[in-house]
Amino acid sequence: MIRPVLARRERVWPATQAFAFLVGIAVALVLGLILLWTSGHNPAEVYERMFDSAFMGTDSLSRTLERATPLALTGLSVAVAGSMGLWNIGAEGQMMAGAIVATGVAMMADGLSGPLLIALMIVAGVAGGMVLMLGPALARSHLGVSEIITTLMLVYVAIRVVEWLETGPWKDPESFGFAVIEPVPEQAALPGLFGRANIGMLIALGLLIVFWLAVSRTAWGYELRLAGSSPNTARYAGVSLRRKILTALLLSGGIAGLAGAVQLTGSAARLESGLSNGYGFAGIIVAALALMRPSGVAVVAFVFGAVQVGGQSIQTLGVSSAISDILQAMILFGALVAAVFFNYRIRWTGPAADSSGDEPEEPGEPDEPDEPDEPEEPEPAEDAA
Amino acid sequence: MASSDADHAVWLRGIEKRFPGVIACAGAELRVRPGTIHALLGENGAGKTTMVNVLAGVYRPDGGEVWVNGQRRFFQSPADAIAAGVGMVYQEFRLVPTLTVAENIVLGSAPRLLRSAEIEERVAELSAAYGMAADPTRPVWQLSMGERQRVEILKALWRNASVLVMDEPTAVLTPGEAAELGAALRAMADDGRSVIYISHKLDQVVAFCDEATVLRQGKTVATVDDLQDVDLTELAELMVGSSEGGYVDRPPDLEAGPEVLSLQGVSALNDRGLPALVDINMTVHSHEIVGIVGVSGNGQKELAEVINGLRRPTQGRVTVKQQDVTDASPGDRYRLGLAYVPEDRLGVGLAPKMSVVDNSIVRSYRLQRRGLMLVMAKCVKFCQGLVERFGVRTGRLNDPIAGLSGGNLQRLLLGRELAEQPAVLVAAQPTRGLDVQGVAAIQSHLVDQRSEGVGVLLISEDLDELLALSDRLLVMYEGRVVSELAPDVTPRSVIGEAMAGQVRA
Repeated sequence: MIRPVLARRERVWPATQAFAFLVGIAVALVLGLILLWTSGHNPAEVYERMFDSAFMGTDSLSRTLERATPLALTGLSVAVAGSMGLWNIGAEGQMMAGAIVATGVAMMADGLSGPLLIALMIVAGVAGGMVLMLGPALARSHLGVSEIITTLMLVYVAIRVVEWLETGPWKDPESFGFAVIEPVPEQAALPGLFGRANIGMLIALGLLIVFWLAVSRTAWGYELRLAGSSPNTARYAGVSLRRKILTALLLSGGIAGLAGAVQLTGSAARLESGLSNGYGFAGIIVAALALMRPSGVAVVAFVFGAVQVGGQSIQTLGVSSAISDILQAMILFGALVAAVFFNYRIRWTGPAADSSGDEPEEPGEPDEPDEPDEPEEPEPAEDAA
Repeated sequence: MASSDADHAVWLRGIEKRFPGVIACAGAELRVRPGTIHALLGENGAGKTTMVNVLAGVYRPDGGEVWVNGQRRFFQSPADAIAAGVGMVYQEFRLVPTLTVAENIVLGSAPRLLRSAEIEERVAELSAAYGMAADPTRPVWQLSMGERQRVEILKALWRNASVLVMDEPTAVLTPGEAAELGAALRAMADDGRSVIYISHKLDQVVAFCDEATVLRQGKTVATVDDLQDVDLTELAELMVGSSEGGYVDRPPDLEAGPEVLSLQGVSALNDRGLPALVDINMTVHSHEIVGIVGVSGNGQKELAEVINGLRRPTQGRVTVKQQDVTDASPGDRYRLGLAYVPEDRLGVGLAPKMSVVDNSIVRSYRLQRRGLMLVMAKCVKFCQGLVERFGVRTGRLNDPIAGLSGGNLQRLLLGRELAEQPAVLVAAQPTRGLDVQGVAAIQSHLVDQRSEGVGVLLISEDLDELLALSDRLLVMYEGRVVSELAPDVTPRSVIGEAMAGQVRA
């Protein structure tokens, strides 16, 4: 019987993941083409419209950057947890929590000047995201409860809280009976840069750089990497795993909350249940494609922003904007499969080819340097000290 | 091709096997006659494990032929090898702890209708036939290491293995259990089965085995038809390719200095919550090497962990340089002068996926800072210093450390621990699995440290190493220090008795 086995390549190209990402985009475009074709659209026309609306002209580019901003922030949020081997699946909820607290601050302090109010709202956003993460973080660090489940479940709690605020305590009395919350004060709008892009983009970019420096160039980041890659070595070095898990998760929640506040002051007029708009979940894909690296987060967020803007624009052609969700997912699948083939090759083995066979290997072996850093479950922390 | 030689149970012919960057086997031969116990000898990395994994269907060879019982075989998987009568007993047992002995034995080859009483009866018959007592109804987690090994062997016999491969079988056994194993293996050989026996313990090889094949660097360098005709040193010479012994000279006598490490009435539990250490009292002084002797699993691992703050004692005090560190973190203990080479190098001592540089600063990264930032140039310089001073052979310093060989990993680890002149060094199995040069290098570092005034606690399973290096020997049995012996005047038989728990008052 002849059958295929995966054998690890002896030599893996540098920057494998970048190639995998490009392959993923190509795969997504081809599959999307088939999808558009079979549903009776002209793929060339649709793709042209998508490309034009995302890249051609400063206005288009500014829309792409506007979309890329929350994606970069949620992607960073997931990447911070991911570099410790933890999965924050609930950035969507923490974004909401950040926006809720920021809105509350705006309501209480709407007399303040713009810059001060914005700063306060952003701090409030960070705090809100952290508060929502506090439970999952403590449960993870002290009891070993999977943060994947707890963070995900709190997403729905946060969205329901917004719905309750909309219909109840924060309902705008001047809304003619519509269940909406009053808009944030005018002076709390983030200053624009050009077109629809605002300084939220610079905040995201700045945070990516700070995070990159912190992880690769500070003792704190070194401890984080050590704890994420080999928990027992970290314990041996005297690093408190509990503290590291807590910090990474709270930071992750705080950054997602900041994304909520930036979205609220930058793009949305008011707090509403649609504010997070799937950015938190898309951030998981962004971080995974970026292998938890800040530079990758920036690139992937930009591409995803373009795909989303493109997806919006083709609705006038009668195409559902869901095509952008499908394309994003296809990029991930394409890139994951491509990454496997960049790191492994197929060998056909059987009796005839026996003498040249390689041992089968599962993709994702732990010692594979270029493999997506599959966040491993750290042991439940038991610090002796 | 017809069977060219029927007089073999196993014939591995011209086996070649390459792994990325490594040639594990380069035309190695292994021929085992039916009804014999055949020793497969060689240093670590000589290709022994690769050879038996080819035989067990785990690896497909890049070249060469596999013959079992007169038939050429092309194993696609371990299942094919099992079907052909090859039974493998790995060093790490592959049993399900929560299942019973009988359930483990039939796992994977269970009859469709599982009648446990019948199976248990047949298992009991099988174990009686080879003198391997094992209660088929007991869950495996309750068994000792020796008993678990019996279950592994019975599992292979249940599947009708005509060739049994044993990888370092006596590493986990007491001397008494090892003798029992030898008898059981002999009974199987008398029954017409063949045994391939991989071990580093040459005295046992000579006691148990009929023939031997010696591998070196992936090639067969010698075959011995009758082991009774050779003596131990000859075998050792064949393995290492020269007559160097691997053990450094006994260090000169030194006056022991002040106490640097003490344990006072320390008790601790193991991972399963059972007592692992019971009322341990010991001291280590400057200028001495204290050896911990014992069959593995008698509390040595927990002892090292308690001393280094990775396991909390339930009772007692630990002091370093007269200061109480019972509640101090591992990092604080290190800063006080306690260095530690853990048994588990890759995974505890070193982070496999991180770079050589990152691993070299595990202890000292706080010193490589300017403000908040790590100064990368300083880190690299520190790493280069270790690499040069301790002769670590490494590729690029930014590559993951998992690519280094065992000996180089250990050189780097030991170098890192010694970088800041510790007062105490706890070294757990520091030379296990290393080649001759590696062993000699590590041992001479230990001796040098002793000369410089470090107190060394050496935990080892290698009695020769302990006898060669230690000033005092402490024998551990079932979590207690059962006796203190002087290495140069104590007969080995007395040490052996103490290790087996038969202490003379």
